Amino acid sequence: MKKHSVCLIFAGLLFLLLIPAVAFAGGQKDKGPEKEVELTFPTFWVGQDSKSAPIQTLVDRFNEENAGKIRVVIEPNPDTDGYRSKINSGLAAGVVPDIFVFNPDPTTFGYYESDLLMDFTDDLTGDWAKSFADGYIQASTMNGVVKSIPFEIGVTPIWYNEDLFKKAGINGFPKTFDEFWAAADKLKAAGIVPTSQMTGGANAWTSMLWYSHILASLGGPTVWERPLTDPIYVKAAEILLKLYTDGNTTKDAVGGDAGVAGGHYMAGNTAIFINGPWYIGRIKGDAPAVHAATRLAYAPAVSGGKYGAMIGFQLSNLAAGNTDDPVKRAAVIKFMKFLTDPENVSMISQASGAMFALKYEMGEDVDPLLKQFIEISSQASFSVPHFQSQYRIEVVQELGQAIGAMVLGKATPEEFVQMLIDVNQ
Amino acid sequence: MRRYNSFRSISTGTLKWLFLGFFFLYTLLPFLWLILSSFKTNYEFTTAPFSFPETWQFENYVKAIRISGLPRLFVNSLIVSVGSTALNLFVSSLGAFVFARERFRFQNLLLNIIIAGVLIPIIGLMVPYFKIITTLRLYDTKLGLIVTYAAINLPISVFLLYGFMKRIPRELEEAAVIDGCSFRQRYSRVIIPLSRMGLVTAGIFVFLYSWNDFIYALLLTSSVKARTLQLGIRFFVSQFFTDYTAMFAAIVITILPSIIIYIIFHDKIIHGLTSGSVKE
Repeated sequence: MKKHSVCLIFAGLLFLLLIPAVAFAGGQKDKGPEKEVELTFPTFWVGQDSKSAPIQTLVDRFNEENAGKIRVVIEPNPDTDGYRSKINSGLAAGVVPDIFVFNPDPTTFGYYESDLLMDFTDDLTGDWAKSFADGYIQASTMNGVVKSIPFEIGVTPIWYNEDLFKKAGINGFPKTFDEFWAAADKLKAAGIVPTSQMTGGANAWTSMLWYSHILASLGGPTVWERPLTDPIYVKAAEILLKLYTDGNTTKDAVGGDAGVAGGHYMAGNTAIFINGPWYIGRIKGDAPAVHAATRLAYAPAVSGGKYGAMIGFQLSNLAAGNTDDPVKRAAVIKFMKFLTDPENVSMISQASGAMFALKYEMGEDVDPLLKQFIEISSQASFSVPHFQSQYRIEVVQELGQAIGAMVLGKATPEEFVQMLIDVNQ
Repeated sequence: MRRYNSFRSISTGTLKWLFLGFFFLYTLLPFLWLILSSFKTNYEFTTAPFSFPETWQFENYVKAIRISGLPRLFVNSLIVSVGSTALNLFVSSLGAFVFARERFRFQNLLLNIIIAGVLIPIIGLMVPYFKIITTLRLYDTKLGLIVTYAAINLPISVFLLYGFMKRIPRELEEAAVIDGCSFRQRYSRVIIPLSRMGLVTAGIFVFLYSWNDFIYALLLTSSVKARTLQLGIRFFVSQFFTDYTAMFAAIVITILPSIIIYIIFHDKIIHGLTSGSVKE
């Protein structure tokens, strides 16, 4: 009995200790009026991310140059999906970090309507505005205000392994889908699986990009003005289904994630893949022969559709919490200008392979594959964002499920589109 | 007849070992696969997931410790899990005691309101918890996580402990009162010792939740001083690339202490879990 009393007293003491601790805990002490402005910068560009090292270098340099006046503190949040949940929860609770990475999509653009985000409309003028590539500031403007600064962009052309194409007797990447199916047959005859696909992950990334490319060919530059009820969505689904059947992709594509899709391409199991420039570092390190053999191309045109489309999108914008403090606001603007300085952006690009919404020059020793990315994106007939950026997160999550259902014969292409429409309502 | 019995005994023994062998492999294979994968390169992992490593990559373990700072996160996880379990059991046992052993107005209504918390999805509570913790200035503190985990698990703990306490014969308490036990002593000297099994069950639930949670640890912390192991493991997952093999190395490192502790104390843990289940 004595033992139990001791336990009880201990538990009681623990509880009593917690009460004052809760009342007086100093997790976030108000620092009062201090000269140095501290800006918190939660970001997922940490850990193993390719931009981790250059961003840290730039933040260190900024802090050194502004010692005693401004200090930017990186808060590492390695998991991208978790980061988004955290930022969204914070925004919903009215608690916004000083600086953060803003993912431009219909859900996050909803926060433009609140006064939680800092308004950069009057700041993004003159030389600073001129340093951005055409169209990106406009794409970040809603109802005449700019509450996030365009930063990282993504282009996702078709990747193909030229060595495997030569082995199958194919010269160059097909320009139409008729040619594409003929090339796929040759690849299969040579024992090579034509494409990497995936329905897993949060967004069925590789297949979502294929679907976007096919839709872009069918719908042209104004494809996203067409509602989901437009027949092009069914027609694109029919082509996507064919990419999954007749041995045109690997058997583990249904349920597979980005590791599966990328892994097959790197292993030389598949000849065609889609991803952005951020994947260059990975393939260069893990599969140098495939990196050397990789060429980029536009997706084949659907019969009667357009050729030369590029799927390009704003990947990450920069945003800041609104503040009434003019000193803090000036500090935020100073850091934003520093981070988007063309020289600094060029440094991040060369170190990570990422591309940015700014006008900047690359150095001499730029990766040849990154060079191809820059060339192919600049020569595209037109550029449209991907499917994911046009629909709410629920629709994007449904896409992988719907592709799986269609491939497994549980849904027709019409029913596939209906599944998306149902979630979109 | 003897030959038949001998045949029966051999076949039963073989079956028993086959069965045990199957479950042994079934349980152990994923863990062995995890250990093997933690010594591969990412390329090997994606291209030949079931092969032996060509060259054993010990640097995955060095990377795991260097990048994510696992030792510190391990200590944080231990403090947070033990703290939240202790706080949760203390508060929930008090609540369950009152609901199970006392009678008052709106008793069932109040109990059902508390237990209904089990049905609320954890994700749905992210915004309110974030607001409460930041208002209390507990953001980025271990105490913030302790209070949150203890609170999140209150409905399930109250539910479990209420069930255990309700089954204790009222006569025992009446006898204790006749012997001079006060209200507090009824709780501490009669009900709590007889609810040991319930406390162990609820404690395991809370501890495992606190140990494994990722989303609240990410939501309510911003630096290594309060972060837990699950966040350390995620340091190998980035926007477009997952360093699977270093992540597996980190997982192995985090699992090992638990296994060692279990091997040392397994008789006590099993005894604690089963005590009172049979008449002695």
